[in-house]
Amino acid sequence: MRAFVFTDKSLERRAGQFVWLSINTERAGNTAALSRFPVEAWPSFFVIDPRTEKVALRWVGGATLPQVEKLLDDGRRAVAGPGKGLEEILTRADSLYGAKKNAEAAAAYREVLAKAPAQWKHRARATESLLFALQSTRDFASCADTARTAFPKLADTPSAANVAATGLDCALAMKVDDPRRSDLVAALAQDARSIVAHPRRGLAADDVSSVYDELAQERSSAKDEAGRRKVLSDWALFLEGEASRAKTPEARAVFDSHRVSVYLALGEPERAVGMLEASERDLPEDYNPPARLAVAYKAMKRWDDALAASDRALAKAYGPRKVGILSTRADILAGKGDKAAARQALEEAIRFAESLPAEQRSDQSIAALKKKLAESS
Amino acid sequence: MRSLRPRLVQPIGLLLLSLASQARGSLPFVEDDYSRALAQARARNVPIFLEAWAPW
Repeated sequence: MRAFVFTDKSLERRAGQFVWLSINTERAGNTAALSRFPVEAWPSFFVIDPRTEKVALRWVGGATLPQVEKLLDDGRRAVAGPGKGLEEILTRADSLYGAKKNAEAAAAYREVLAKAPAQWKHRARATESLLFALQSTRDFASCADTARTAFPKLADTPSAANVAATGLDCALAMKVDDPRRSDLVAALAQDARSIVAHPRRGLAADDVSSVYDELAQERSSAKDEAGRRKVLSDWALFLEGEASRAKTPEARAVFDSHRVSVYLALGEPERAVGMLEASERDLPEDYNPPARLAVAYKAMKRWDDALAASDRALAKAYGPRKVGILSTRADILAGKGDKAAARQALEEAIRFAESLPAEQRSDQSIAALKKKLAESS
Repeated sequence: MRSLRPRLVQPIGLLLLSLASQARGSLPFVEDDYSRALAQARARNVPIFLEAWAPW
């Protein structure tokens, strides 16, 4: 979105409607803001009432330009007052969702969606927020069921890809012995396939990419390796097409992360090298291209190239992501056969992870690193 | 997608940390300074639009 939506000149008329604030969650200096406005997934957007410092509206994930426009309108309305009727319930749901009271928010979104007419202008946004609230509370069956019911109503909207992908993600996360799981997975996979088979105008590329991701996982869950590889190959072609149409290096590099994941999943890490070299050349301050090159070279067992890329990434890296780069470095060193250096890299990763502020520290990540260290001896 | 997994996001690229307002397209974003944004919003009596992102 930073490369596509917020650069759109049509938003110029909105400049005076808000104070626009961008927070890089990796920066230690932003922990006070993160403590006040915790982030569950990236990117996240908040409309904040400056009088109370409370979140009037939250949106999790990317959005197209029309979705952003609607978000801005709805945010201003929510700050202005609760309204009446359906808007009052929606404002309450948005406020609960903004406070991360996901279970209560889900109940309020359900209430308003049940009362609203089929063509209600807020249906798409309310449905997407409901799905994420249900997913966050691990109510996967309700999430999948809601997505399945909602998809036909939203199939021609920018929300279609998110609804299908989130629904399929939830269905796959259901317990395997749940009798509803197989039907929901099959139906939502069909919805998801309809997205990638006939991509509609107005869908965000990252949303469509997420649909491919879910379809690959669905084939993996079905133990269909040939089917999974077909999805991955189609996904790679889609991402390569989108990247080729990008107008700036920043916009092209947005696709690097998913492209690396797909190439690794296909067992073809060498396909990532050229694009990452180009990104590193075009975006010299960015630690991501060399960090991703280290991963690709590691998969290719080009240990010295991987270490050199890791060096370049670490020279620029900061924040929680540095932990992962150090962990990858340990893997590279272990692959090279230098166990002592691998242990040192892991110890450094643990020290760094433990030094992060509470808002950025991951106990789960630290535990995983310590387990890895114990297993390396 | 409303996934808990990392999403496609814009790498840090040309948007290096700065305490100054930076125009991105037509929007004058305040970068990494909540207190400053809050003071501005109260003075102008308008809401804050907060974008929380990560450079990966």
